This record gives sequence, C-alpha cells and structure tokens, in this order.
Amino acid sequence: MLPAPMPPLERALTGLLGAQRVFCSRDALLAWECDGFTVHRSRPRAVVLPESTGEVQAVVRLLHMANVPFVPRGAGTCLSGGPTASGDAVVIDLARMRKVLQISTEDLYAVVQPGVVNLDLTAAVRHLGLHYAPDPSSQSVCTIGGNLAENSGGPHCFKYGMTQDHVLGATIVLPDGTLARLGDAAGPRAPHGLDLTALFCGSEGTFAIATEITVRLCRDQESVRTLLAAFASMTAACRTVSDIVAAGLVPAALEILDQATIRAVEASVYRAGYPADAAAVLLVELDGPAVVIAEETAEVREFFRRNGALSIEEASDAAERKRLWKGRKGAFGAMGRLNTDLYVLDGVVPRTRLEEALDGITAIGQKHGVVLTNVFHAGDGNLHPNISFDGRDAQQTARTVAAGREILQLCVDLGGSISGEHGIGSEKLDHVGMMFDAADLDVMARVRAVFNPDGLCNPGKVLPQRGACAEVAKWPQMVARVLDTGERP
Amino acid sequence: MSPTPRSTAELQELLRAVRGPVRLLGTGSRQARLPAADGATALSLAGLDRIRRLDAPDQTCSVEPGVRREVLDAELARVGLELPCAGGGSLGGLFASDATGPVTVGGASPRSLLLGLEALLADGTSFRSGARVVKSVAGFDVHKLLVGSQGRLFAATQLHLRLRPRPRSEAWFERARLERDDALRLLATLRALAPAPAALHLLRGPHGFSLAGRLAGRAVHVQATLREHALREHALREGPALASLHLEATAGGEVVAGNVVGSRLPALLAAIPADARFLMHGGGRFEVALASARETDALLAALPALSTQACIVLGEPARRGRGTPLDAGHERLASGLKQTLDPHGIFV
Repeated sequence: MLPAPMPPLERALTGLLGAQRVFCSRDALLAWECDGFTVHRSRPRAVVLPESTGEVQAVVRLLHMANVPFVPRGAGTCLSGGPTASGDAVVIDLARMRKVLQISTEDLYAVVQPGVVNLDLTAAVRHLGLHYAPDPSSQSVCTIGGNLAENSGGPHCFKYGMTQDHVLGATIVLPDGTLARLGDAAGPRAPHGLDLTALFCGSEGTFAIATEITVRLCRDQESVRTLLAAFASMTAACRTVSDIVAAGLVPAALEILDQATIRAVEASVYRAGYPADAAAVLLVELDGPAVVIAEETAEVREFFRRNGALSIEEASDAAERKRLWKGRKGAFGAMGRLNTDLYVLDGVVPRTRLEEALDGITAIGQKHGVVLTNVFHAGDGNLHPNISFDGRDAQQTARTVAAGREILQLCVDLGGSISGEHGIGSEKLDHVGMMFDAADLDVMARVRAVFNPDGLCNPGKVLPQRGACAEVAKWPQMVARVLDTGERP
Repeated sequence: MSPTPRSTAELQELLRAVRGPVRLLGTGSRQARLPAADGATALSLAGLDRIRRLDAPDQTCSVEPGVRREVLDAELARVGLELPCAGGGSLGGLFASDATGPVTVGGASPRSLLLGLEALLADGTSFRSGARVVKSVAGFDVHKLLVGSQGRLFAATQLHLRLRPRPRSEAWFERARLERDDALRLLATLRALAPAPAALHLLRGPHGFSLAGRLAGRAVHVQATLREHALREHALREGPALASLHLEATAGGEVVAGNVVGSRLPALLAAIPADARFLMHGGGRFEVALASARETDALLAALPALSTQACIVLGEPARRGRGTPLDAGHERLASGLKQTLDPHGIFV
C-alpha cells in the first residue's frame, strides 16, 4: 500500500528544509510528545529542525501565513510542559542550531545559537579561564535557548544570578517572521531604550524565537572549596544555611538533600558517597581569592560544628569536587529508581521559612499518600519537592497533582512563588491565580500580545485563558482519558 | 506645586481625575535629564515614602517609590545590608532612570535588583509583577520594564528589592593625572580581576585621565589588591569626586550617555573631541560632555560604526532622548508596549 500523500503544509516545510529535517510520521513524533513534565503528553503535528536564523524565519513565515501554531523547543528538559505541543502545532526544534558564533575574551561575552548545550559553552571557554555561570541541573543536555526561555537558574545562581543576569542581548524571530534585535554585547538596554532583553528572558517561548543569544562570560575564580556536611535533622541543616547567610557570607552554592534523596542517590549510578544515615546533607561551595576562601572555609566549618554536623567532607581537588556534586546534579535522575514518573516541583519561600515549608510539605505528602523527596537550593529558598509516581495509574497521578497544587499554595501562603526556575508552562496554568489576579494577568497578556498578537507562538502556556482554568484542573482526568485512547504506551 | 499623593489610593484617584499628559517625578533630582514634557501635569511620587518591609534575614525589602536613597541606606546599614547599585534621589527615580547601569564588570544594577513591583497604569488600574522572594519566574517580567522607562509606561507604587550583605571591609582608591595608555591599561587590569572591584570609574578631564574605584570584601582581599596594583586608599569614605556618576553640561553644551564594550573604548575616545570631558563606569555606561549640538550630532552619527548606542541626556529639552538609531524591530516592540500599557499616551 502506498503511503498517504503528505498534506500541503508538511510538503511546504519539506520544501524549505528537506525531508531529513522535517518529521511528520506518528512514530517519529513520539520523541517530542513531552518534556521533563511527563504528566502532560501530546504529539505535535510535525517537527522541523532549522539550522539558521534565515531558516527559522522562513518556517515561521510559512506557519504564520497558514495560521498554524508553533512551539520552539531546545533539548526538551523543561520541567513544566513549556515545549510540549498540541496536535495542531508544529515544533520548531532548535537542537541543530548549536554553533558558538563568537567569543570575546576581552569583553567577556559569547554569541551563541540557541541549541548550544549549556555545559558545552563552558567547555568552549574553559581553556581561557572563563565559564558561563548559570548551571541548571540538566546543564549537560539543556540548551542556552531553553535557559533563556525559562530564565533558568541552578545551584550557583545564589551568588551569580539567574540566566536573565547573564543575557546581554538576543536576535529574535517574531511570530510573523520578522526580526528584532534586543540589547547587545555592550549591554541589555540602550540608554534610550526599554529593557526588552529582560522582558523576553523567561517568556517561555511565547513571545518569539531567539536565534542568536549574547551571553556574559565570567572569569574563573582563583580558588574553589566544596564542603559537604551531614546532619541528624533537616532543622540543623536549614539553620546552618541561615547562619552562613546571616554572617554575610555569599557562597557560590548552598544545596540541601534530604534523607530520601540521599538514599536514592546512593543506590543509583550517581552514587557520591553521601552518608546514608544522615537526615540531610548540606553542600556548600565557596569561590574567590585563595586568601578569602581560606577564611570563609573556616567560618563555614565553625557553623557546621555549632549546628552539630555529624560529618564534614571537603573536596581537596577537582575530582573530589566533581564527586560531591555528582550526587546533587544526579539527584533527579536517581529518582528514576523510585517509580516510573517524577513530578519535580519548584516552589520558592523566603529562606527564613524553609523549615516551616518543609514541615508543611511532609504533611501534605502524608495526607495524599505520595512518595516525596526534597532537594533544594537552600540559599534562595527554592524548593524542589519531588513526587515519584506511576503515571499509568490515574489515581496516583491525581494524588500527585493534588499534592503538588497544595505544596505550591503553601509556598505562596508563606510569601513565596509557584516557580523559582522551571516556569509555568502548561503545568502551572491552574496555579498562576495563586499569585496574580485578573488585572495582573491582563497586563501580562497585553504585553505578550505585542510580541505575539495572533497567539501562534507556543499557545496555551504561562497565562490561563479566561475561564479556561478548569480545563487544566482536569489533568488527572486528562491523563486517564489519554490512557483510555491508547495514546500512551 | 506638583500634586503629591501620600498613598496608592490617592495616586489612583489623581490619575483618574487628571486630563492630558502627566510627568511622573520622584524627588525631581533627574528632571533636567528627561526629555521635554511641555504642558504635562507634574505628579510627584515623593509622598509615597514608606519602607513597607525590610526582611533582613531574607535580604529583601519593599519600598514605595518616593523613599530617598539615603533613607533606605541608613536603614539597611543598621542591619548590615546594602542596595548594591549606584545612584541617589528617590528609589523610584533611580530604578526608572537606570542612569549608570552596573558600576563594575558584571556588577549588580537596578535590573538585577528589582524582584517585583506593584504599579498603576495611566487609567488607575493596579497590577503586580514578579515577587518578593529572591527568585521567581512566575509570569512575565513586566516589572523589568520599569528600568530605564523614565516613568513613561506605568507608575510604580511599590518596589520589591534584593539586598546584599555589606562588605566587611572596603576602600576607595584614585589614580589621577594618568596618560591615556596608562589609564586604559590599569582599567583593563582592574576589570579583569576576579572578583572585580565593587565600582570602577574612568574620567578624562582637563588634567588627563583619572581612575577611581571601590574595593570591597574581606580586609585581607582589599589590602592585598591595593598592594598588588599599587593603589593608594582614598581618604574620603564616600569616594573621590569623580565617583559622583554624572557629568554636567557646559553652557550651550550637551551630555551624551551610552554603552561601550572595553575593546571599543580607544576608538570611542578617538571619536570624541580631545577637550571633551569623558566619564565611564566599569559596567560600560559612559557620558561625554560636548561643547555644542553640532559636536553631539557628529558623535551620534559616528557611533553606529563603533556598534555603540548613545543618546542626549543633558541639553535643550527638545533634544534630550535623541540618540543613535535603535533596531527597527526593537522600536516597533517598544512602541507597541507603550501603546498597550498607556494607549492614550498619558505618561510622558
């Protein structure tokens, strides 16, 4: 039997990019059915792989003329459903746009295509004594374009700031295919212009598609010390963090893993030698001039001691440091041992309310009968409660989603946020109202419409449509429905 | 006398009542640097002057736009914190003008310290953006549009700010009467330090080049850096005069402000008249005082070739804000944002 003829749009896309860079078959599209937020799955209409700004423009112009929605995508490591496309949308996958276009060692910036992997950029400048500071846990696979879209953070943003603090400018393809240049190497905002660079950063692919990004590079510090302390209680670990910050120290990173996470890590390929009997471990990284770091290390050790640390480890070389970080960076991967799916939450609370938040999270987990682990950026108060669940079980999924919602409400009630670094995507559409009222959301919608007036660029993300919140609240049912239709294996 | 509301509700009422264009002011310290607003009602936010929240352990605060910089600084000093960006006057004005950017390489600036805000649109509608915590990516960062907007998009009624611990030790230094090449070499050396000085300022005046800066951190680091680079600690705690951040215009003259990357600095210096005063901060923002509109126009015409953006900040009101051409796509978006947030063009 002959294959069905290709629809006209898909034929036109193939005409632009060639058959090797356009995917339309149902099987081929499986790889794009979700991101790291596996609760929400949907195969797109097609996937295209452009390699240049011109090709992105050509594809977007074609889709704009055909009134077809499209979704930009990096490595698909997003944890909020941001790059997941509905069945009528075309995914513009930027993974092939992975060139580092320019590096300036004198002015400390790089110009990159959006598909450049975060860690590859640091690898490209390491021999120059430079690095790119934002370091999400997925940095070995996630892309700079995705980081820009989500305003990604990472362990080192306590000292060095989020992606927004490191993006100087971007060339963007607007949803009608025209170009705009925001900022440049000299600064994200001209003295007589608005800071559209900051506004664009974190817009989750709903404004336009960045095709060239200018980022700030940082000089490596003379000395780096990484310490790991084990504690008999989470309270002691959190108090140590408060003591360190209250003393005016600004470590490069302050990370906590709870006992369940430690055990998952130690049972996995990410095993890092963390003390399995500890209730919590605190990872502290200090960087700066050697004379300063020697003093700061002594102070941190004293805070460990005062708060009753069970053990203290200090990395003596790069290999040791890598080992101590291996467990933290691999924590989410290690959760794969606990169940088939992982729901990574991303709430923020004022740092001083961490203990209260963790107690509340434990209670919510018990109430819903879900398996909860905690790994978090303690310095920023950015919690990552992780719920391990079997996504094939509609009841478990429903309990997971309900617990997640309550946890984020708790964060907001404590004066925090529903997302510190993962974004809203489709995951938290129903939660945005916890932080913003109709007037706030209306202003945001008007701002988005300036960039994306027809709503073709990544529709259905970040802002709930008026009166449509209920649709998102049906996730568990949606998952169950998908199961019924055999959409998922 | 400008109407001076004392609360958000009063401001809202005024905005709903006012007819015609409105010029938002803080303490008025930057009024001379704003473009002309003929016929506009001046509306002072100086009466919104409360520090609404200071959470020292979390290193954040919320302030009304009329809070004066020195008032906040005094409060922060009591709890060992600081707002690590340059600029005086009212906090609302400081953030809305963003007149100096970061004062050192990769340093904090109003854009990096603004966590969120509450604001009023010109029709009195209130809205919020961002959050009070140090990290939040919920919703779009509409609050970042305040930075550099000069109050032409909305009126901020409360700013949520990130703070930092005060350094345990600090020292200002100044090297004066330097030859151009020596000054540029020293500037490049200091900009390359990790960590960079907390502030760096380069001035070209009648007596050659001067370079001033502020080192901050632990005493052991501050003293070692002074020694290593043969820098003498300056006597004044607030730093030498050239750290005052801005140039003044001479009679009939103008001041142009722009952004420049370090590698283009020699070319920029070559493009400006030899007797023009020039000031640059370590983050790349510069100001040059030119003797006439003709000199200004010549410089603005030359700057695109140096990939340098700049505009007139002091001079005849009608000429302020004129600058090098911005990207057409950027202009279209900026004008769309003005249209959507302030469709009747009230804020000027």
